[in-house]
Amino acid sequence: MEKPTNVYATGFILGALAFAVRLYKISNPDEVVFDEVHFGKFAAYYILREYYFDVHPPLAKLLLGAAGWFVGFDGQFDFENIGDSYTEHHVPYIGMRVFPAVLGSLTIPLVFAIMRECGYPTLIAAFSASLVLFDNGHVTQVRLILLDAALVFFMTMSLYSYVRFRKLRYWEFTFEWWAWMIATGVSLACTLGCKMVGLLTFATIGTAVLVDLWNLLDIRKGLSLEHVAKHFFARALGLIVVPFFVYLSFFWIHFKILTHSGTGDSFMSPAFQETLQNNEMLLNSQEIRYYDTVTMRHKDSKVFLHSHPDRYPLRYDDGRISSQGQQVTGYPFNDTNNHWQIVPTKSLPPTGRGRVVRHKDVVQLLHINTDSYLLTHDVASPLMPTNQEFTTWAVNDTTRYDDTLFEINIIEAHDGEPWKTKSGHFRLVHVPTRVSMWTHSEALPDWAFKQQEINGNKNAQERTATWFVDEIINDETGADLRNRTGTVEPKPVKQLNFFRKFFELQMLMLQHNAGLTASHPYASGPINWPFLISGISFWTHNDTQRQIYMIGNVVGWWTCVMALSIYVGIISADLLARRRGVYPIPEPLRNRLWNSTGLFFAAWAYHYFPFFLMSRQLFLHHYLPAHLASALVAGGVFNFIVSETINYPISIPGPNTRLRPRTHAELGVRSFIAVGVFVATLIAMFLYLSPLTYGTPGLDGDQVNRRRLLSTWTLHFAGK
Amino acid sequence: MAEESTRRRNVSSTFAGSKKEEDFGYRDANGVQDDVDGKGLSAKHVKFLPRGQQHVRRRALPPPSTLTEFIQQNWEWIPPIIYTLLAAFTRFYQIGKANVVVWDEAHFGKFGGHYLKREFYFDVHPPLGKMLVGLAGLLSGYDGSFEFKSGEVYPDHVPYTAMRVILASFGAGMVPVGWFTAIELGFSQRACHLVALMVLFDCAWATISRFILLDSMLLFFTFTTVYGLTKFHNQQWRSFSIDWWFWLAFTGVSIGCVISVKWVGFFVTALVGLYTIEDLWDKFGELQMPVRVYLRHWAARALCLIVLPILVYMASFKIHFLILNHSGPGDAQMSSLFQANLRGNDFAQNPLEVAYGSKLTLKNMGWGGGLLHSHAHQYPTGSQQQQVTCYHYKDDNNNFLVMPRWDENDYDPNGDLRFLEDGDIIRLVHHATGRNLHSHPVAAPITRLNNEVSCYGNATIGDYQDYWVVEVVDDLHLGSKGNVHHIHSLTTRLRFRHNAQGCYLRAANAILPQWGWKQVEVSCVKENNPKDAHTYWNVESHWNDRLPRGEVKLYRSPFLRDFWHLNVAMMTSNNALIPDPDKEDILASTPYQWPWLSVGLRMCGWGDQQIKYYLLGNPLVWWSGTASLILSLMALGIYLLRMQRRYNDFEPGQFDHVMYVGKVAFVGWFLHYLPFLIMGRVTYIHHYLPALWFSVIMTGHLLDHFVFKSKRLSERTKWTVFIFCALAVIETFLWFRGITFGIEGPIKDHKGLLWRKSWNIY
Repeated sequence: MEKPTNVYATGFILGALAFAVRLYKISNPDEVVFDEVHFGKFAAYYILREYYFDVHPPLAKLLLGAAGWFVGFDGQFDFENIGDSYTEHHVPYIGMRVFPAVLGSLTIPLVFAIMRECGYPTLIAAFSASLVLFDNGHVTQVRLILLDAALVFFMTMSLYSYVRFRKLRYWEFTFEWWAWMIATGVSLACTLGCKMVGLLTFATIGTAVLVDLWNLLDIRKGLSLEHVAKHFFARALGLIVVPFFVYLSFFWIHFKILTHSGTGDSFMSPAFQETLQNNEMLLNSQEIRYYDTVTMRHKDSKVFLHSHPDRYPLRYDDGRISSQGQQVTGYPFNDTNNHWQIVPTKSLPPTGRGRVVRHKDVVQLLHINTDSYLLTHDVASPLMPTNQEFTTWAVNDTTRYDDTLFEINIIEAHDGEPWKTKSGHFRLVHVPTRVSMWTHSEALPDWAFKQQEINGNKNAQERTATWFVDEIINDETGADLRNRTGTVEPKPVKQLNFFRKFFELQMLMLQHNAGLTASHPYASGPINWPFLISGISFWTHNDTQRQIYMIGNVVGWWTCVMALSIYVGIISADLLARRRGVYPIPEPLRNRLWNSTGLFFAAWAYHYFPFFLMSRQLFLHHYLPAHLASALVAGGVFNFIVSETINYPISIPGPNTRLRPRTHAELGVRSFIAVGVFVATLIAMFLYLSPLTYGTPGLDGDQVNRRRLLSTWTLHFAGK
Repeated sequence: MAEESTRRRNVSSTFAGSKKEEDFGYRDANGVQDDVDGKGLSAKHVKFLPRGQQHVRRRALPPPSTLTEFIQQNWEWIPPIIYTLLAAFTRFYQIGKANVVVWDEAHFGKFGGHYLKREFYFDVHPPLGKMLVGLAGLLSGYDGSFEFKSGEVYPDHVPYTAMRVILASFGAGMVPVGWFTAIELGFSQRACHLVALMVLFDCAWATISRFILLDSMLLFFTFTTVYGLTKFHNQQWRSFSIDWWFWLAFTGVSIGCVISVKWVGFFVTALVGLYTIEDLWDKFGELQMPVRVYLRHWAARALCLIVLPILVYMASFKIHFLILNHSGPGDAQMSSLFQANLRGNDFAQNPLEVAYGSKLTLKNMGWGGGLLHSHAHQYPTGSQQQQVTCYHYKDDNNNFLVMPRWDENDYDPNGDLRFLEDGDIIRLVHHATGRNLHSHPVAAPITRLNNEVSCYGNATIGDYQDYWVVEVVDDLHLGSKGNVHHIHSLTTRLRFRHNAQGCYLRAANAILPQWGWKQVEVSCVKENNPKDAHTYWNVESHWNDRLPRGEVKLYRSPFLRDFWHLNVAMMTSNNALIPDPDKEDILASTPYQWPWLSVGLRMCGWGDQQIKYYLLGNPLVWWSGTASLILSLMALGIYLLRMQRRYNDFEPGQFDHVMYVGKVAFVGWFLHYLPFLIMGRVTYIHHYLPALWFSVIMTGHLLDHFVFKSKRLSERTKWTVFIFCALAVIETFLWFRGITFGIEGPIKDHKGLLWRKSWNIY
């Protein structure tokens, strides 16, 4: 069994099975499934080269885009809804699905290889691999245009490279040693490049490296401090610096490909947007001059600053009293009541650049239709007692002159920067009271026609108090606006430093990731995951009663949970016993249990527990990396249970290594039978649940009911 | 390398014990030491006990004959007495200057008043602190009649100064307890003085103690808990002695008090818990200890640190219920039976049996359940029909009418009485808006897997989705379902099944967002779980002119049930205190700002004529605390690295003691700080005040370790450092005294307070 040919044959068979299981009926369904809505669309954007925004780093989506490009997808399909047909729109979706499926299949031989390299017998390695191979959850996830296949593959690759690197510990600083370390670093960067969850893989490997360095530092190893420092810097280079640059390169490619304006523009800063071709800012951004009549819009809610002759009611429902001034509201549609003229508060030269409005200029805003100035004062706004009311004041009454002064505060501007339409995001700060003009989604009552409230926010730096000038309606002369800057041709695309673009995007990704808190019917808490309490409905087809329901293989997952708890039990018992001066586990076996299985356990813990701290919406498929780690733990624990012997040595001995005698793991016939029976059960369960995994064949009510193994699974088409 | 080997001492001796260490790889040095000399009564322990605690018995001295002798013999009592007097000064000086209701006095003053009026109220905090406020009011002759509206001037009959003084005594008590804790931690005299000075002269601690708030009590009990823990630690060498038992029990009672004031007290409880676990783990490794003794250790701790605190906590609720025996504003939070027992409540006089045409309110029987409610606002999502919620206050919008189905004859107010029975299919009509309780296959706003429940239609418009099947579960009086013929108010437990969808009306403490006024979501659950108390309802108020009034009889409501119900209700309301993204709370701050003291808090209006208080720490105390916490981690890292290279920096046992103090300080701080980062609720700067105590301990500890106990520094240097630190702390307090004692006149006249731009003092 342990002959190299047998080992390779086993690995090969597992791999072939993995391909078979994952590629089976991959064309089914020929409709958009679950998050293909997002990731298919993103792939299309790469092909169209249109800028988009997403919370995940770009690597996996780049690869999907490449796969789409390779099979001839032209990007002309918008993946709008789950259930949209691919065949009707001539989308070569099979090629795009095959790519993640291939990565997902390659994961299986890798799992097998990790176990083999860690010194577990072939049987045990095959046991671990089949836990992933015949898992409905993994299969469902990797057969679709999703990111998780790539994520799990690179995560497994990181673990594998690290194990190979660790085995070369007696050959430090040799070429192979360096090669495997850098391979670890690159794989880690790729994991992180797929999803931010890759940080957890970094933490896993990082912990292992720190423990390793800590042992090297021990004086009894006899290494000089210089030598330890050399180890330290080598790892810093291979596992921090190299990954960082690899990670950057993904973004570099991302920006290189996405050069056109697209759906993601509005997330980015004006400076960023001006680097995109056909961007509206690039096309229409113009300098604003005094006495121009303009319309202004709120950046987030896109309402226009609006006023109309109706007045605030004297008394609101809650008893507070208003100024009874003219209403100032936010209105979503075009209207002449949105027109405001910019009136200077300083003397202007008759012509020339002196008439351009600049950052920190103090201006008055004249409402054209009612001939009154915008004003705010220390009166509570209709809806929020904490904020100031906005109203207007007649032009010919100068008693309230001071209250009509506003400062144009352009965001991230230098002194004297001209104010531009579209790109000049600004805050309008009231000079005497320092409040910022602000609006929020709450609508005013009927007396203001349910328009949006505008009020003064006392936090002058409020991020959401951002406005921009939409359009210049006309200037004082009434001349053609297009000609006044002298150029009518589209302006050239601007350049922006790559690092500025990178940091801006990275920050936005983190912010939006944390902001994904909306509830989702199939979101579930981390505590439910290992036990498969609930799955996710990916896709349904009413006529044929077919559905895809993402759920793991119950036999496999519960075995993994058991293995994890047994591991914790063994470790605790070991600690307790040793505390009482009893040493129950033979030393070599214990080393294997702590160091090798311990690494897998750490990988599981790192890929699982941090989710408890995340407040964003979470799904069962976030557990897949942790599940893979738990399959490795299961192998380790199974080995510990069935055998008291291990393969030794595992690490490649160096020239000066003193070896203890070589040993071989002995597995009895019973282990073979046990694994055989187990894998047969596993496959049986896999096949039983497979209609939910492959989305075919359709099931009638009774069949669905029978497959609803836990009452908490919300399957469709259930019988009464 | 040469230096390394010369300075390596004791290597061989530790090697002997650590043969087994190889395999572990990352075992900490602490563990090694424990293995070497099995802890316990060894000499190393004694050496690091504070003065006067070392178990060399002091010979009894002859009674003092002169005053000098008396002072000499009691010298150790002089500093704490002086500090207590000074503390009284910082806490009491001009305490009545602001004759208005300052900040949260508006809440806690009011709650205190409820005890004097004996009216039941509801609040998210446990009752002990507020009962003490009530006691302070009682002692100072307050009658509970004042409303405590924020910013209002106290009328003559409210003895607010006396109440503040009584509560400020807890704040003053922090200082001597702090001093003795430092002594117990084995600090040198200088470090003890510095710690006491920092507690004494921190502006935030002083300011918050000076008003009718719970924080002074919370802080005081946090301090006593830590004191109890350190005191107990020093009795460890003589387990099961009287002193040992006393301090263990003291710690337990103290824990009980601190969690009965605010739930934040659980953090200090966690510190004691972790200490105990580590302690028991150490003892587990003492192979010479008989198993019986070891089990006794467990039992003693379970008794004193788990049972005792729970008893104290429950006792505070028992007293709470005993005092508040009149109906008041908080009634609706409790179960109907509990309310029926309150004086001034007329539930018992409700007609007993429910009939068609009855107007009633429905109470959810889940822990913390409220009344079925609807109001004239629509769901912004789903069907956009009228909202149905669970509401915890009495209100006309809670009233529903029992009406027959659409396909039956209209209800005839003069016709025969028809009583409600099990299995009846009825309509429930919201009395105020006339709409029917309705459900349909639309996802509920929060629990998306359930159906939405709304109010829909009117007296003529409606459909089959308005039908609810009344299912009787049982009756608390009559017993099982078989005995229930007519539905009784208060005692019959009901479920409402939606006739068309088959789902059950349920309210399970999920909070709606701002658009639903943070009330509890009501939904229709598709799973039929007959054991789910959140689907149980009972009729609470019941009006029907055609029925005879019920007889006055007392329904009993067991204490444990009320206790648990109230605690769940508190938890639910606490969870509702999440920050509202639409609303800027100018007072709130984030935990990231606290250690750097980047925010303060205006405790009252800021007009020129008002007396202004600003909640802001003594910058030196706060910044040095934060710096010490960071420094302590660096120091630990360096020491561990050096140990790994076998440099020996410590005398035997010294490392254990340094680690013990460091752990108390750092873990204590961490436990009081981290939860605020994780939990979603609104946070204010005063939430950091308990954590501050641990950072102060850390400052004292590091100064003690690196300066005052250093063997390399001269006495002169130590004195210089000490005097410098002490003066700096005192000077800063004096500089900022205005914000503690109250600033009079325009704030612009008080210059130089704006040390950081982010403080909104001016």
